Amino acid sequence: MPSLKKRLLGLALGPRLRRRVETLEELQGDGYDPFGAHVSGTRVGLASTRFLYELYFRVDSEGIEHLPASGPVVVAANHGGMLPFDAAMLHTDIARRSDPPRLPRTVADRFVPKLPFVSTFFARGGVISGTRGNVERVLASGQVLVVFPEGTVGIGKPSSERYRLQTWRGGHAELAMRYRAPVVPAAIVGPDEQWPMLARLDGVNLFGAPFLPVPATPLPLPVRYRIRYGEPLALHEMFDGDLRDPEVIRAAAAAVKARVQAMIDETVETRPGLYR
Amino acid sequence: MSRYLITGATTPIGESLIRHLLRDDATARILAVGAEPYRPRAVEVDGRVRYERVDLTRERNLRELLFGACRTEGVEVIVDMASHRSVRSTGQKARALNVLETRRLLALAEEHPTIRRFVYRSYAEVHDVSAALPVLIDEAHPLNLRPDAPQWIRDRVEADLTVCTRMAMSDLSIAVLRCAECLAPRTGSQLHDYLDSRVCFRPMGYDPVVNLISDDDLGRALALAARSDADGIFTIPGATTLPLSEIVRRSGRTSIPVPGPAMAPLYAARRAALRSNFDYSLNRGRLHFGVVLSGDRAAELLGYRPEVSVTFPYD
Repeated sequence: MPSLKKRLLGLALGPRLRRRVETLEELQGDGYDPFGAHVSGTRVGLASTRFLYELYFRVDSEGIEHLPASGPVVVAANHGGMLPFDAAMLHTDIARRSDPPRLPRTVADRFVPKLPFVSTFFARGGVISGTRGNVERVLASGQVLVVFPEGTVGIGKPSSERYRLQTWRGGHAELAMRYRAPVVPAAIVGPDEQWPMLARLDGVNLFGAPFLPVPATPLPLPVRYRIRYGEPLALHEMFDGDLRDPEVIRAAAAAVKARVQAMIDETVETRPGLYR
Repeated sequence: MSRYLITGATTPIGESLIRHLLRDDATARILAVGAEPYRPRAVEVDGRVRYERVDLTRERNLRELLFGACRTEGVEVIVDMASHRSVRSTGQKARALNVLETRRLLALAEEHPTIRRFVYRSYAEVHDVSAALPVLIDEAHPLNLRPDAPQWIRDRVEADLTVCTRMAMSDLSIAVLRCAECLAPRTGSQLHDYLDSRVCFRPMGYDPVVNLISDDDLGRALALAARSDADGIFTIPGATTLPLSEIVRRSGRTSIPVPGPAMAPLYAARRAALRSNFDYSLNRGRLHFGVVLSGDRAAELLGYRPEVSVTFPYD
């Protein structure tokens, strides 16, 4: 007899998503991985994002077939929207729609493990802290690494900079080449307009967060999210140079950035509207 | 190699090591040393084990042990595990066993005619733990060199580094095993002391994963290191990785989340009132952030992989 918690989660998931979770659970086994991920976290995570994914942001996703069926892969996406709902929706989208099912390991900023409750919730769902040792382990074990090379600069950018990629770090490109992992560029359109920011308090660094945002509205706007995955980039074949050379890494990262920017521009141009 | 000297032999880990060495027919002699009057159980049943009660904090005793009994027995390998278990053991007397004994033993072993290998049992607790560091700890992970760390930590880091610095300079083959926490009594486990009380306080909002090793796995890892020729540092993980709340639950204890800033005064009051051995300042990092040892190097060079899970009363 399943526990009350499990039955409630089953109701929250619905039959289709419940079957998906059961498949992901088979992949994960029933133990805790070194980063604290557990099948219960996948179940709770997908149940708690269902409303946002299906009804609030009404995620429209294309191109998930570009995600390789197995082996290490880096998904590199743009980042925006004051709070990282885009990361949650991308993580959810991969967990819900990848075929065969794969569990994403989304990278969070290093201050996230300091956040009470959030750190545990994220860890159980498969999120890892963005230290080099952690991401290397994920790639070495052949998992799906989801990164946002803009970092917190992306989510804190002013609305005048929306859909313009900010400083794009190169660590993901170097690791992808080192582990011969393809990079799947991903564009997320919607987040940059979801929550107008009244001000950002750079001097307030709660739990090590780089700034405290002051939103103009109490809740994010129910914009429609559009997630687009591009064809994988085999950086290790495209850039045949010394991995210790910063120029090689910069060039490889710039290629990913250019692809993500092009996908963002194309999606913004062809979308029927912000809410439609 | 078939003749061993084991310090700290009367702990559950020492006994486990002796059991694993005795399973190998090639083991000819084990000289087990401890400070306690009682002897490891293996002494009673196997003629290959001899127990010596020695106060290792005295240099004269160490010299007599190495150039007396060890030479007579033809000891080839030292497995050094002697250290004070309680955080209450502080000051020069504690340091004499935790650090100076290891330093002297290593120096004497370098002069010894038959000793060829030195294995030092170190601790996962020597590593620094913070949000900015990887969860998975390998041999290159930073050590906890904070000057405000309790002596229990400082001594272990100093002893670890003392042995490490001799690696490239000594004729001995040297291995340092930084082992996951063994949740057993009389092993110096802080987590064991934490679970000693019926109510365990946890920092509210945090539930980090903890890696635990069984005494059987730890004894096996030490035995493999004693028999091997592989030099260097090895992180030794256990087979059990669980969140702290689950460890508390399986131990039949009650877990009460309290706001982080209240943890230190609560445990300081408990230590003072109940004379408990658990020191919160020593465990603050790992009660907030997960720590799991990697074990890749130990698997490759020692052939060690964790096999036996820790058994809890409520499993």
